[in-house]
Amino acid sequence: MPTTRRNFLTVSGAAAALALSGSLPEIKTAAAGWTGRVDRRDPFTLGVASGDPLPDAVVIWTRLAPDPLAPFGGMDRRPVEVQWQVAEDERFHRIVRSGTARTGPEASHSVHVDVRGLRPWRQYWYRFRVNGQLSPVGRTKTAPAYDAVVPELSLAFASCQAWWEGWYTAYADMAKRDHDVVFFLGDYIYEFGIDRGIRPHSNEPYITQQTVTLDEYRQRYAAYKMDPDLQDAHARAPWIVTLDDHEVVDNWADEAHPSAPPAQFRVRRANAFRAYWEHMPLRLAQLPKGPDMQLYRRIRYGRLAEFNVLDTRQYRSDQAYGDGTKAPGPETKDPARTITGDAQEKWLLDGWAASQTRWNVLAHQTAIARLDTKDGPEVLVPMDTWDGYEASRNRILGGAVQRKVRNLVSIAGDLHRSVASDLKLDFDDPASATVGAEFVGTSITSGIDGQDLDPGGATLLRENAHMKFGNFQRGYVSCSVTPQRWISDYRVVDKVSVQGGTVSTRAKLLVEDGRPGIAEVQK
Amino acid sequence: MRIPRQTVVAAGTIVAAALLGSSSMPAATSSPSSDVAVSVAPEQLSVVGLPCFPSTLNLTMTNTGSQDRYADLTLEPTGPLQLSRTLFSSWLPAVDPDQPVSAPVEVRVPRDTKPGAYKIDVEVDRNRLTVPVTVEPLPSKGPGDNLALGEQATASSTHGNFTLCGAVDGDKDPEHWDTLTGWNDGTRAVFPDTYDVALSAPATVNRVELYTLDSVKYPARLNGLRDWDVQAKVGGAWQTVAQVRGNTLGHVTTTFDPVQAEAVRILCLDGNDHTYSRIVELEVYGT
Repeated sequence: MPTTRRNFLTVSGAAAALALSGSLPEIKTAAAGWTGRVDRRDPFTLGVASGDPLPDAVVIWTRLAPDPLAPFGGMDRRPVEVQWQVAEDERFHRIVRSGTARTGPEASHSVHVDVRGLRPWRQYWYRFRVNGQLSPVGRTKTAPAYDAVVPELSLAFASCQAWWEGWYTAYADMAKRDHDVVFFLGDYIYEFGIDRGIRPHSNEPYITQQTVTLDEYRQRYAAYKMDPDLQDAHARAPWIVTLDDHEVVDNWADEAHPSAPPAQFRVRRANAFRAYWEHMPLRLAQLPKGPDMQLYRRIRYGRLAEFNVLDTRQYRSDQAYGDGTKAPGPETKDPARTITGDAQEKWLLDGWAASQTRWNVLAHQTAIARLDTKDGPEVLVPMDTWDGYEASRNRILGGAVQRKVRNLVSIAGDLHRSVASDLKLDFDDPASATVGAEFVGTSITSGIDGQDLDPGGATLLRENAHMKFGNFQRGYVSCSVTPQRWISDYRVVDKVSVQGGTVSTRAKLLVEDGRPGIAEVQK
Repeated sequence: MRIPRQTVVAAGTIVAAALLGSSSMPAATSSPSSDVAVSVAPEQLSVVGLPCFPSTLNLTMTNTGSQDRYADLTLEPTGPLQLSRTLFSSWLPAVDPDQPVSAPVEVRVPRDTKPGAYKIDVEVDRNRLTVPVTVEPLPSKGPGDNLALGEQATASSTHGNFTLCGAVDGDKDPEHWDTLTGWNDGTRAVFPDTYDVALSAPATVNRVELYTLDSVKYPARLNGLRDWDVQAKVGGAWQTVAQVRGNTLGHVTTTFDPVQAEAVRILCLDGNDHTYSRIVELEVYGT
């Protein structure tokens, strides 16, 4: 951390105050008059979203952007009041909460309302109004009561949505299915500039140039969020999000990235975090303070499941051996190195010690299971996944066993391939105990169409006995969780390089209560 | 022929607050004080109306106050000036020593812009500074002049670390390769690649000077372009006018029968390391 010569407290007063007033529930009547300017342009071009459900609350989100790719989204720089409503029915006959939120250019005219006083495990519909114009209607669902017995939870998880590499057909499929909650596990945007792409407009400057400054990150989110399938998926269910590397820059680690010295990189990270928060349905507790953001958090679904949402970017040690794919060695095994950071590790282990839920889920960025990518006796593993942080992995998986964590399941992304594995206490010893199951979901689009089993995937299956399933197409994972079993349904798209691809189930994998690891693979 | 890329003025710092009392900016005296210092480099800019010849202004904001903050810098050009951005927003930490935060803006003008004086207003927290911009006359494109200089390039792809216009920017020194002065395609080990330059008007051409990467660190025999065709676009169709094979030199002159061309293309077939096509500068001449 750099020394500060001045009264270093938080973000600027103006920005914090604005975000505060935009985020606190203001339970006023919807009749509070709108007296603004007349603007006939649709301000809701980026859709609506909800997120981080609690038994009595959910965050609802939108951003006013009549000209989404223009500076300030085409808004002028005056503050705006936005009305919101939450109802028990789709037609808003039974409105249970409503109010007015204030926003402005400091927050990209985003609105984050933490709607409180809701009933547990209930569907709600929400919408916004500004200048007489109504937003699309979103559907959301609160979490069950803290000690509720939950017969079934349906969830989806997704990651890695490189916009220029294909169409979001997977999201159209996700929106059609009835999920109680959706997890997004990182790489919502890509920061680097690209050269050409699948979609029209792939060669526009707002896609071809890398993002460094705050206005550039904001514009990149706008470009991605204009997609109608992505908007549908947000509007159908609450999302619980975390970020990975490309929301900032490829393979960053804490304050380290080769593109810039730490002091300069912190500015980029602050800009990236600010734009991230503005565009995600997150609470004020997650509002970044400059380059720092409290993103790891715990969300419980009654007695059925507890989700530990991790942040394995912000506190990690720099990648071992200069990153890349390398043989494990003293550096990857160094106990001083960490992928979670000490505070998050303690928070996770303490949380597990107190957990009373049937399923205990890690919702996070990248694979915990070993990924030997080299045929034959030699072992080459990615330095950016948990393979590059073996001591950290041993502390987490060993810690789970010590605390008798029931039904450990890891869901992750990052790899651009589907990989399902048993989590082993010691990946050097195939006979060691299986302590949990890991489902890595493939990318929504990153990598374009792919194929069922590529040579790299075949090698992974040969070299990693703990790996039970692999696929190299695009898609997402839809899960059904009951007290007795967890089923992961790997939904894959035949082609993302064309519109209207076909989505189908490639495999269903089963985990049984009380039996660590993957019990069955149905192909 | 050489044209000034930009009037080189020392990259000095103008602190917005320091200008506030200036009698030349009366409006500024009523502005609130700001804890963001703004500087631009160069302090004045020259622009020429060639499509692939942007001038770059570097913008810097520095937090001189006591609290971290976010700031928005807006740019308002006059007349025909076209900016690659009109907004630069960033978090600005209040740290010791000061942490300047910079971003570039490219400035272009249409070919038919009348030479003269224009300006860009730069504003943060309602404090404004003005950057004078001079639009220079177009360079001569007569016999003996490089017809490709600054003209619109298109490529099959461009690597993210390079700029499309780098091979028509008038800088043919391969030692400047790292400073975005060349073109490098974006598809590793995939050939062919194409690099085209559209001439401002159809012209009779008979000679191409191609400078490929040939620096002390990256000699042409290891990293330069090896095999290529020179093509001319005539009546909307590409025709090959010359071929170069097995090249190991940094600078290759190719002459061919005069042809009335709308555009010139380098069809890159292979490099000496078989990875990328690299052109430091492409020049086209007529009779």
